[in-house]
Amino acid sequence: MNPLTGLAFAGSAVVACLAWASWVVWAGALAASLVAAAKAGILRRVVAAASVVVVPFALWALVIHGLFFPEGRTVLLEIGPARVTSEGLAYAGAFVLRTASLVVVMLAFSLWVSVPTLRAALVRRGAPAQLGYVLASALGLAATVAERLQRIREAQEARGLIVRSGPAGRVLAARLQVVPLVLQLVDEAGERGAALEARGYSLPGRRTSYLDEPDSRTQRVVRWALAVVCAGVVASVVIPAVVGVLTGARR
Amino acid sequence: MSSLALGAHVRSFAYDDGCEPLLRNVRLELVPGSLTAVLGASGSGKSTLAKVLAGWAIAGGHGRLDGTLQLGRSGTAERLDFRGLPDDPRLRLGAWGQHVAYVPQRAADLLTGAAATVGEELAFALEQRGTPRAEMLVQVDSAARAVGLGEFLLRDPRRLSGGEQRRLAIACALVGRPDVVLLDEPSASLDAQGLVALSQLVDTLRTAGAAVVVFSAADDPIARAAGHWLLLEGGAVAAEGPPDEVEGSAAFTASGVLREGAATPRAPRLVGGDADAPTPLAELDRVTFVYPDAHHAERRRHREVSGPSMPVLDEASFAVLPGEVVALTGPNGAGKSTSLRHLAGLLRPQGGSVRIGGRDILAEPAGRVAATVGTLFQEPRDQLFERTALREVAFGLAGHRRGFLGASRDEAHTRALEALDAVGLVRHADAHPYELSMSEQRLLALATVLARQPRVLLLDEPTVGLDRFGLARLQAAVRRAAEGGAAVVLSTHALAWARRQADRGLVLAKGRFEEA
Repeated sequence: MNPLTGLAFAGSAVVACLAWASWVVWAGALAASLVAAAKAGILRRVVAAASVVVVPFALWALVIHGLFFPEGRTVLLEIGPARVTSEGLAYAGAFVLRTASLVVVMLAFSLWVSVPTLRAALVRRGAPAQLGYVLASALGLAATVAERLQRIREAQEARGLIVRSGPAGRVLAARLQVVPLVLQLVDEAGERGAALEARGYSLPGRRTSYLDEPDSRTQRVVRWALAVVCAGVVASVVIPAVVGVLTGARR
Repeated sequence: MSSLALGAHVRSFAYDDGCEPLLRNVRLELVPGSLTAVLGASGSGKSTLAKVLAGWAIAGGHGRLDGTLQLGRSGTAERLDFRGLPDDPRLRLGAWGQHVAYVPQRAADLLTGAAATVGEELAFALEQRGTPRAEMLVQVDSAARAVGLGEFLLRDPRRLSGGEQRRLAIACALVGRPDVVLLDEPSASLDAQGLVALSQLVDTLRTAGAAVVVFSAADDPIARAAGHWLLLEGGAVAAEGPPDEVEGSAAFTASGVLREGAATPRAPRLVGGDADAPTPLAELDRVTFVYPDAHHAERRRHREVSGPSMPVLDEASFAVLPGEVVALTGPNGAGKSTSLRHLAGLLRPQGGSVRIGGRDILAEPAGRVAATVGTLFQEPRDQLFERTALREVAFGLAGHRRGFLGASRDEAHTRALEALDAVGLVRHADAHPYELSMSEQRLLALATVLARQPRVLLLDEPTVGLDRFGLARLQAAVRRAAEGGAAVVLSTHALAWARRQADRGLVLAKGRFEEA
């Protein structure tokens, strides 16, 4: 599938989840993205990554809204100042479901998409080539930084630094590694800048792409259709709101 | 075709840091199909000249050139006259780079670092020029084949070995079919097979009409194949002409250029250590090690890729006695660095044991192992992280942090200065390590190791990029350490040098060591 088609699906799901406050829409988006992830063979990674974000958030939401929800009327349980109300639980549940659906949709897209192909697709449609390079190198930055940090740590260990286990030891070690890390990255950026220039990075004119971009007439139609649907979804929320404001103002 | 591919007259070149010019009165005329060797000791200005010719040193606006660059192509000549003034013509690196390609000393610097495959990396320059895709595929394929990477188009560039990365960088430079190719220390770290491939590649480039220039501190086989030599000394031409003529000159004899053919005498050495107690100081005992897939970064770093889940070390054993110098050899990616890292306590074996001074170090943190073991890493910059050369060498000597040597501040200062003196870098004590040339960085890294006076000395590719003087300092350091009773283990591709310096040679093949 073309990465832009995937982007259109993910974007539409995000727009719908944000625009419509409905359990059905949220659960639908969540289920659809999980099914898509399973089909792409990335379900386990999506669930693992999403859990890191959603589980702590869900616990926090349940504690705050489940136990302390001033508007709650139907009290299920009372422990001291805390009152578990069904309205509070429903609010927390909706909050968590909406967040989970947004997180899973976005993670499924970003773990599925091939960045080089996405870059090729964007460049072919006239996006600045530099933007594509920045996108690709930003995604690789975390790996580069981790690799550099480890190299510096090993060099320091080879000269007697003992990194104690546990977070305190690692923080102490990181303090010694940050300055050399920044210097290395800056130094390398200078050399790489010249190399990129010499290889034509800022030449004027249109770019071409080495990678082929899988596409079809059907996909193009689907993308346009999704764009129209998104506009419709936004309109379905914005128009009544604007009308409401205007009629309210007239009164 | 014009009879001139590139002409340069550098009256003077200096960086904008207020220092003296790095180059004076250097003239070079390159004709299509020629091979020129620019030779010189460390700090003679080779890399600076390469960067001036490539435009890298001028385009950034940090350097001042007084001189002329002239590009001859398709019958027309393009001439740029520089006066070192603000109204000088502007060299557009993107356009210049299409005709003059340059592979820096650290070849990986040429790569974008953002490409997911070798094919994409190679295509980068063609994409920027808007080459149609069908044509691009053909050019990428042909460039990859020219450097022996035809089967590697789908591989991740970061997972290539050091030698393969160098070949990829060369392919990136030649994919746009430039008129001039500048190669800075192209044979560094290459094994014998890599050297043969590089020589063939240079021939292919010349046949296609490119002018090739190699910059080197040694008269290696590629330099020997050149028709014209230019010897640099202190940024100026000390001799030039056909190789025989330059070789016979007094300037060449006095220079620091390393003569590959000439035998460095094997230095007589006092027998160190204690002959009555032959307990090995460093020992790998049936060590097995496989890089897990999750540790790709680790493997990349040591440029050792031997296929998925193949053991790099397979019950590998060897022992080094006090006062003994042992050389580990083997092709790129055989596992030499991995063996040294086990001895340094930076990697843990999956089977077998590693003993230092008779003690198993499995449970010891690398920082504690460092009290006995000193390591010179393959990429010197990986181990330089301080603000000045002196601070760099003094790191870990003073202070009572766990694992540090606990010397007093004065004592640490003295020891650091002595170590800098031993490698000839005292005059650079206050320089930032990154301001030094690559060979000086290697010597500085060596000083950081020597200052700790380790009983076990591990040297990973210590000779790379060193000129004659640097090599002599390295040899002296190895000799002194061995005479003092230290065990020295070095890994190298410089086989002749290893044979002369080591008591014993071990070849690493298929995960095991065999006596050479």
